[in-house]
Amino acid sequence: MSEIKPEETAAAKDNNEDQDWAAAKAFFDSLKTKVPRPPKPQYAVTIAVSSRTLFNMVAERKIYEEEGVEKYVAFQVEHENEPLSPGPAFPFVKALMNVNSRLRQLYPDSEELFDIVLMTNNHAQVGVRLINSINHYGLTIERFCMTGGQSPIGYLKAYMTNLYLSKDSEKVTGAIEEGIAAATMFMPPSECELSDTQLRVAFDGDAVLFSDESEIIVKKHGLDTFFEHEKEFENKPLAQGPLKCFLEALGKLQRKFYAKDERMNCPIRTFLVTARSAASSGARVLKTLRSWGLEIDEALFLAGAPKGPLLQKIKPHIFFDDQMFHIEGAKELGTISAHVPYGIGQKYHKGKLIEQPAEKK
Amino acid sequence: MDNMVSVVLNTDVKQKDADSAVVVAVTSRALFEQGPEDDETGVWKLSRAFPLLQAVQKVNDCLLEKNPAESLLLDVILITTDSQHQQLSSVLISSTRHHGLGVGKFFFSSEETFIDCLLENNVQLFLSTSKDEVLMASQKGVPSALLEARKNDSSVQCQREDLRVWLHEDLISPCDSASQPSSRHSPQRFLAQLGEIRQRFGVSDSPLWISLVILHGGRENCGNRLKALRSLGVSVDDVYCLAGAPSDPLLSLLQPHFRFNCSFVN
Repeated sequence: MSEIKPEETAAAKDNNEDQDWAAAKAFFDSLKTKVPRPPKPQYAVTIAVSSRTLFNMVAERKIYEEEGVEKYVAFQVEHENEPLSPGPAFPFVKALMNVNSRLRQLYPDSEELFDIVLMTNNHAQVGVRLINSINHYGLTIERFCMTGGQSPIGYLKAYMTNLYLSKDSEKVTGAIEEGIAAATMFMPPSECELSDTQLRVAFDGDAVLFSDESEIIVKKHGLDTFFEHEKEFENKPLAQGPLKCFLEALGKLQRKFYAKDERMNCPIRTFLVTARSAASSGARVLKTLRSWGLEIDEALFLAGAPKGPLLQKIKPHIFFDDQMFHIEGAKELGTISAHVPYGIGQKYHKGKLIEQPAEKK
Repeated sequence: MDNMVSVVLNTDVKQKDADSAVVVAVTSRALFEQGPEDDETGVWKLSRAFPLLQAVQKVNDCLLEKNPAESLLLDVILITTDSQHQQLSSVLISSTRHHGLGVGKFFFSSEETFIDCLLENNVQLFLSTSKDEVLMASQKGVPSALLEARKNDSSVQCQREDLRVWLHEDLISPCDSASQPSSRHSPQRFLAQLGEIRQRFGVSDSPLWISLVILHGGRENCGNRLKALRSLGVSVDDVYCLAGAPSDPLLSLLQPHFRFNCSFVN
């Protein structure tokens, strides 16, 4: 999890890869419709979104669960000229596209862009409807992985995925276990008006950006011990969590705007929304970020207050947290939330240890 | 004489219906290992094409299970493509029978005669481990593909070796058979038959998996190719649109038995 993208290996492979890349580049450059060419994955920040996070497929999902896969595929094929409506990751994807167009204006030859991949275990025949829907909204998604029923986890690395968003918590857990940043997305009941000029991403701290080492202390020994511990180890950086690399990737792109004097007009803004309090346990967090060479635009210490109302004001395109309690609170007040199933927080609900394992469909 | 091609039936195997079966020719060099015969049995050891033959057997078994009178089956024939192997007909026959391979016929031909042999005998797919042979046969209008080396540690879950076919849209490959409209007929027919076999099975219980890989194009190509294949009767199972991203990782994951360029389908 320390590398943004792993390094390339054999030289012979490189030759084939270069040829493929050159062919694709030539192909896109020759298109009459001037579709922006997708970036070289080795340099890009690759976001893989599932079909159910990109689009609202609740009704279709019901058919799959109640009538089986054959009926489901037949239904999708029958309705393939009807575009699907947007899902929870839709605003996030649009915001990514906006950042890309700003980056392309400032750095026309750079491959350091967002690369958006549709990553689904749907069958290829459903793909036609998905492609039609993407066309309908004019989304710049040129890469697809539709595995026809196999789990997409194995394919995430093949597409050099940096962040995977899905509605299926099992897949998300699998991705995190493979060392890939991932989160389960939840759609809020009401729509929130989000910025269309700036990508806004909010992160919880412990067990999201940082490891769950401090969470463990709270759960096992209580808050007082936690405060003492954090003060004592204020200068020792926390270990990194599953979303640290994604924040790092965002920071790298932000600096490209700063280099061109666009800091005041930067189309990426990051937020830390943590239950820690500034006075007693906040310093360690800020010092850890500094030691990693990472910046976060706004750090909000809630000292245990609910996150929902604050997130309502921030209006992020996505909010990452490891505790379902916070996810639910945020969602209720209209924030698009993404659960990161990592660390000790998964065994607890509202501070109490969950006795039985939660049932998963 | 070198110019004589002899055709020998494998009497261990029930012959398939010549009008309906899909004839797949596999080279002897792809099926048997180079080197001396096994000391004890006097037969050759199996090589790269063996998993393909097993997968084909599985497809045929599943087809017959659904319909014992099924005539749209895959008919594998073994072909020699050089004069050395052409002379070794008895070892080839005994090795094939020893391993119980479902090969229907043997074509004993040489470098000069094998392509004509393929054309005259209505071979719908030619599989070899030699790039040159594949290229030559393609250029003469015989749908051809290279047999893939397969790894043992595939992470894709195969239930008992399904037949995995990778169709790709490749914008830079050398002139394939089907760049001329007149020579599109055979490859198209082969795909259509493959599609028909696939249709005998449901969405998730098929012993034949057809993957579509768009190597260089993007979304528009992907959508068009899916629809074009569909109108040919080929319902692809999974699709990967790479738009120039590296394809080797995908190759390791999918582990196809062979890859076939379908750029001509539109």
